[in-house]
Amino acid sequence: MVDFARVQKELQECNRDFGVSGIKVIPKSEANLTQLLGTIPGPLGTPYEGGTFNIDINLPDGYPFEPPKMKFATKVWHPNISSQSGAICLDILKDQWSPALTLKTALLSVQALLSAPEPDDPQDAVVAQQYLREYQTYVGTARYWTEAFAKASSLNVEEKVQKLVEMGFPEALVRSALESVGGDENLALEKLCSG
Amino acid sequence: MAASASSTKVSTNSTASDFCRWHAVASWTWDAQDETCGICRMAFDGCCPDCKLPGDDCPLIWGSCNHAFHLHCILKWVNSQTPQAHCPMCRREWQFKG
Repeated sequence: MVDFARVQKELQECNRDFGVSGIKVIPKSEANLTQLLGTIPGPLGTPYEGGTFNIDINLPDGYPFEPPKMKFATKVWHPNISSQSGAICLDILKDQWSPALTLKTALLSVQALLSAPEPDDPQDAVVAQQYLREYQTYVGTARYWTEAFAKASSLNVEEKVQKLVEMGFPEALVRSALESVGGDENLALEKLCSG
Repeated sequence: MAASASSTKVSTNSTASDFCRWHAVASWTWDAQDETCGICRMAFDGCCPDCKLPGDDCPLIWGSCNHAFHLHCILKWVNSQTPQAHCPMCRREWQFKG
């Protein structure tokens, strides 16, 4: 059984320092605290800078005695993250998990992984090879993917807002819903429908 | 557990030895370095999520590395780790402090 008291506490604590860390965790629906959405900013000075990355978090029954299941929902070009599935290769999410870690510290480690790829222990062999053999190409591709998938560019946001307004929701509500779910159109729609 | 007691003199008679009522208050607290259990994140002076009353029914336990947890919390962790559990805080091999 998931320790929900701890999860509630973690969500409050994590979102309280959002201003400093830029890291956010929100439940996908109010009714279920095992399905969460984490958000991390791309680290400065890396090809991921300027991007906002969404991470699907699924808490197993044994949490916090078992690690949270995390994968990128935003497409990302990185040797230790599958460009196909978003699966993350990170020891603390596997055998190095400790119940003293939290969703926030785990997301901080994922953010650190973005700054420090480990191409010798790849999750995506194609990206890892590119990283080792043609580093500049890797930087370019990673930067392009950040631009294309991890930036809620103003045009994209306006398109989403218009689409949701056309469904009959008030514009102010649409904007706040989109913002609270990190720009994900489907999650925003769910939020608007659930009231 | 560290306990402390204090008393309040209620009588205001002239000599100090002249107590006529005595109101004792005792408080206790676990004598651990941290305030919250690193596993369940609840206060040490509270209890683990499975217990209702803090105190002797939900004791703290120390490892040989000197990190403290609710006994019930660390037992769940140790029992889930085979063959050897490590301290959740410092990753040293977990041994109960003898």
